[in-house]
Amino acid sequence: MQSYWFGDVNDGTCTAFIGDPDAIIQRVRSISTSTDSFVPLEWDQSVRCGVCRDRIDYLSKLQAVCITAAEQSIREQYSKKDAELLQMVRTLDEIDNVINLLSERAAEWYLIRHPSFSRKYRRIPANALIKSIREKNKGALGSVAAEIERITETRVALAKEVSARANTVLPNTSALIGGLVAARLLSQAGGLLALSRLPGSAIQVLGARTALFSHIRTRSPCPKHGIIFQHRRIHNAPREVRGKVSRVLAGKLAIAARLDYFRGVIAPEFLDSAQERIDATGRRVGQ
Amino acid sequence: MIWIGDVLVSKGMGGVYNERMLGGARVWDPVRSKLSALYYTGNGVELTPHMRVLYLGAANGTTVSHVADYVEVVYAVEFAPRPMQDLLEVSRRRRNIIPVMADAAHPEQYAPLVESVDLLYQDVAQPEQAGIALRNCSFLKTGGILILMLKTRSVDFKRKPAEVFQETIDILTTGGLIVQQSVWLSPYHTDHAALVCVKG
Repeated sequence: MQSYWFGDVNDGTCTAFIGDPDAIIQRVRSISTSTDSFVPLEWDQSVRCGVCRDRIDYLSKLQAVCITAAEQSIREQYSKKDAELLQMVRTLDEIDNVINLLSERAAEWYLIRHPSFSRKYRRIPANALIKSIREKNKGALGSVAAEIERITETRVALAKEVSARANTVLPNTSALIGGLVAARLLSQAGGLLALSRLPGSAIQVLGARTALFSHIRTRSPCPKHGIIFQHRRIHNAPREVRGKVSRVLAGKLAIAARLDYFRGVIAPEFLDSAQERIDATGRRVGQ
Repeated sequence: MIWIGDVLVSKGMGGVYNERMLGGARVWDPVRSKLSALYYTGNGVELTPHMRVLYLGAANGTTVSHVADYVEVVYAVEFAPRPMQDLLEVSRRRRNIIPVMADAAHPEQYAPLVESVDLLYQDVAQPEQAGIALRNCSFLKTGGILILMLKTRSVDFKRKPAEVFQETIDILTTGGLIVQQSVWLSPYHTDHAALVCVKG
């Protein structure tokens, strides 16, 4: 017997599938055919079945069913917890870029207006400089500076939201490496399912794509860390053990991501042992 | 195929992706569409009004909309939700596009929806492109045509494109297809080749 979207065909006799549009869509999304005993669909069987009047009717019914089924699949994919977090963290990184670019430009502009000004030997943080630019300048330059300050506020609020969301979507990964960095890993991997399928070695170099590819193409040394470098355990570790710590951390992150995908709740016993193992790696070799 | 001077066009409702119009027809840009590039660089395959097409890797429905201008029906398979959103919008305005949200590597998922086709067109960024094409050949009528847009860099970025190209031809030939045309799509698309095969 062959099952098609409009009904079942058995030895040339066709039994129409009876059901409301929702049931037909359910059927379309659940049936599949084994390819060894595959008999291609013949559209005129649907007419014999009494489901469709003619070719035009067949195509328009099939199209309606397929469109609704696809809409449902999209809605399901988008309602997964990680879909919005992905956009949030990408927006955050984009905002960082914008702030840096605009701040650089505003500072250059300010230098033209104040030829005797220089940042050398003065250690002015960027936000203090922007503040003084806003206060001392009228017109477009002042309002650009004000805009930078406003978007910086947005950035702070968004960062908080990202990390809170990451704690619920990625409880274990966040516990190991912090919400923000966990969210960035998620964004690089492309989703929770994708992240949970990555091996530790891939997680270790997520975000170091250029270095990794130049390593594979040429004989340049391979990158030791990608995004995970942003975590204090890596960038505070002594240079000679950084590679070791990031390897161990990445291995534990791979396990944590799988816990996050399959369990979705925090696993204290795993976290304790993982934290200890990572700390031990830094300590043992550091001495 | 319809050419106005040396510009490839298709006849249908415009405005899908702000494409240029020429004499009331939609300009089919070889830089944006690999299938169009095939008509510029090689002979291509004549699309006729009675053709039924299975299109794997439909993406945003840009090329799909041009194919649909020429043929009877296009079964457009796409896996990712984001491009599917756009493809659905195109499908709602064209009666002959059937959007199928499924993985082209698993034809059993959409076998209950798709009939036998005259043309199988594949443009997917997967390592195992030849295998996916062969698996989908069960939808192809005898004498039907496969157009495989080979993304050599997706197969293996470490190997030379020419090597991947030759290997893919061998796999398709072993799989029972006769390779009729094999062209590189440069200068329109780098490291992309088109393979036109016939199912014997």
